[in-house]
Amino acid sequence: MKLRAVIAIIACKITKFLIRVMKKGGTNFPGKIAVKICPSVLGVMARGVTTIIVTGTNGKTTTSRMIEQCLVEAGVSFFCNKSGANLLTGITNEFAQNSNIFGKCKKKYAVIECDEAAFRHVSKYVDAKYIVVTNIFRDQVDRFVELESTMSGIRAGIENSPNACIAINADCSLTTSLVKGVNNKIIYYGVDCPIYKDLVSEVSDAQYCINCKTEYNYEYKTYGHLGKYSCPECGYRRPDTEVFVTEVVSSDLDSTTVKLKISENEKLLRINLPGGYNVYNALSAAAVAKGMNLDEDKIITALSSFECGFGRMENFDIGGKNVRMILIKNPAGCNQVLNFLTNTVKEKCLFVTIVNDRISDGTDISWLWDANFEKLESLGDNLPMIYVGGARADDMANRLKYAGRSLDKIRVIKDDDELLEEIDKAKEDVFIMPTYSAMLSFREKISKRYNLKSYWEN
Amino acid sequence: MDELKICYLYPDVLNLFSDSGNVTCMLKRLEWRGMKADVTEVPVGAKLNVNDYDLFFIGGGQDFENGVQISDFFGEKSKEIKKAVEDEKVFLAVCTGYQLLGNYYKATDGTQYDLSGAVNFHTIGTKDRFIGNYCFESEELSGLKIVGFENHAGKTYLSDGVKPLGKVLTGNGNNGEDMTEGARYKNVFASYAHGALLPKNPVLADKILATALERKYNKKFDLSPLDDTFELNANKYMVDRLLG
Repeated sequence: MKLRAVIAIIACKITKFLIRVMKKGGTNFPGKIAVKICPSVLGVMARGVTTIIVTGTNGKTTTSRMIEQCLVEAGVSFFCNKSGANLLTGITNEFAQNSNIFGKCKKKYAVIECDEAAFRHVSKYVDAKYIVVTNIFRDQVDRFVELESTMSGIRAGIENSPNACIAINADCSLTTSLVKGVNNKIIYYGVDCPIYKDLVSEVSDAQYCINCKTEYNYEYKTYGHLGKYSCPECGYRRPDTEVFVTEVVSSDLDSTTVKLKISENEKLLRINLPGGYNVYNALSAAAVAKGMNLDEDKIITALSSFECGFGRMENFDIGGKNVRMILIKNPAGCNQVLNFLTNTVKEKCLFVTIVNDRISDGTDISWLWDANFEKLESLGDNLPMIYVGGARADDMANRLKYAGRSLDKIRVIKDDDELLEEIDKAKEDVFIMPTYSAMLSFREKISKRYNLKSYWEN
Repeated sequence: MDELKICYLYPDVLNLFSDSGNVTCMLKRLEWRGMKADVTEVPVGAKLNVNDYDLFFIGGGQDFENGVQISDFFGEKSKEIKKAVEDEKVFLAVCTGYQLLGNYYKATDGTQYDLSGAVNFHTIGTKDRFIGNYCFESEELSGLKIVGFENHAGKTYLSDGVKPLGKVLTGNGNNGEDMTEGARYKNVFASYAHGALLPKNPVLADKILATALERKYNKKFDLSPLDDTFELNANKYMVDRLLG
């Protein structure tokens, strides 16, 4: 144990304390200081903690929350990194806050959401016992440049983790290719049937075989490039699943009911979150929980009682109506939200989109043109108005115009306070779709105005 | 009814940066004026007969998929495209699609990929990328300020007979050295700008549509004005942000 590590931990704790006293929400800064003082301090603290790492493009936060709920049901002591502090610095901070000054952790387990690009660095210090890769989609291209580099980053992380049991989304041909040739124990999970009656048309992120570049055949697609794929040329195909959904029984605005197979017996599970993408999140949590040998009934209880994460289909009760916030951050995720809304909304409601272009949102907003907003017009009279906010409100308004919406059904409100005022006045239920930084700032505004808990106090 | 036949080349692989918004934009702007467009997608492996179309669109893609696409582009398609360019068919080419129209692309490992040579320029691959919002000015369109988002590792150098689409005001454009952005040759409009490009630069969109209509019907087209409030607000927001 080096003195340098002790100093780093102490510095981290003090900075965090000061930030809390000053009521600021910075989650990465204390970790930055710790890493600066002792780059390997995370390794010291992570020793002896059973760590579960959740990475992939979409669904990291929700999956992490679901795994936590499973651990709660199992009565295991753990900590986790909340509110999107998922880079090396944020993760270091979280470990420091849960360790004594000598780096000895107070909890047995850690559930760590890890940014795809940060995973290769984090895995140098943390010897994960479990890894979940949720899926790989085209994300903020200006940050990751291309899918290939995202994938090589995750692959490097997996290579750094020879002792991990890995839960892999079998329906994602890009994800399954990551564990080719590794000796780890793999648990494949997937959906053995289509999810939606009516899919939005969208660009596939993986149309061609990753090995031989021949176009894949699909028996069915669940959404995006996910589904039962096989390559007619080289035989690369979706692997058999160990944890899987056999049938989507019903779905509504609050939940999806599926038949889930974790072991021998099929169980009916009401996932306490709507949308097909949350079926995958529940499956990935169930796969990890199976790997950890948690009791099957406890997994089912956890997934059906689970309450949603930060800005991911989060519910607020504002002025006697329901306001739901659903993060949008890339075309695949956004199309999922559009799939869900257009298949599920049955009453008149108000939509609000808030688009920023800071680094955490992705500075290139071109992706709005790959998201199928055209689909919204199928809601007809149930969607008489869309409010548009954020720094790039004009671009979003323009996108909706070209998606077929008439100009009198779009209102640009760039000022956040005015936007919230208008949402407050609305009579019908509201769906707010913000990009990441817009979600943080708008959620904060809602919290202040309606006296909800601030996120750093969670 | 006046109608344009649009060929959307490689929508299956050159689709990384949502450049298909340009096709959506052209379709709508014709439709709002009581005209029509018919879009045919020509993916990898499909045959291309350039005589069937008035306007061609090619977008940007990523490296792995370029591997699939470039081999398809060599040979027949490449010759057809060169023929169409000489025949003054209208092209909108963005990023990778832009690069494919040049003489060659020299990769960072030194490999030279000979391309269609439809337009006299070449591109040199580099390890750095030019990434960000940028703005350039079109002399041809009376000083029109065009905005977009560039994201490319190739540096493009124009040669004889080819003009730039615009002069860089902020950002990098073709190569970050000579202030040029994009290329203009006959009826080819080529650019590095994503965004998508046309929806927030409606004057350029209409210029391309009018050029295609004029070539097809062999008469002058003055496109009727549209309510471009959102389009121009989106443009102005970025111009103000970049140029202050």
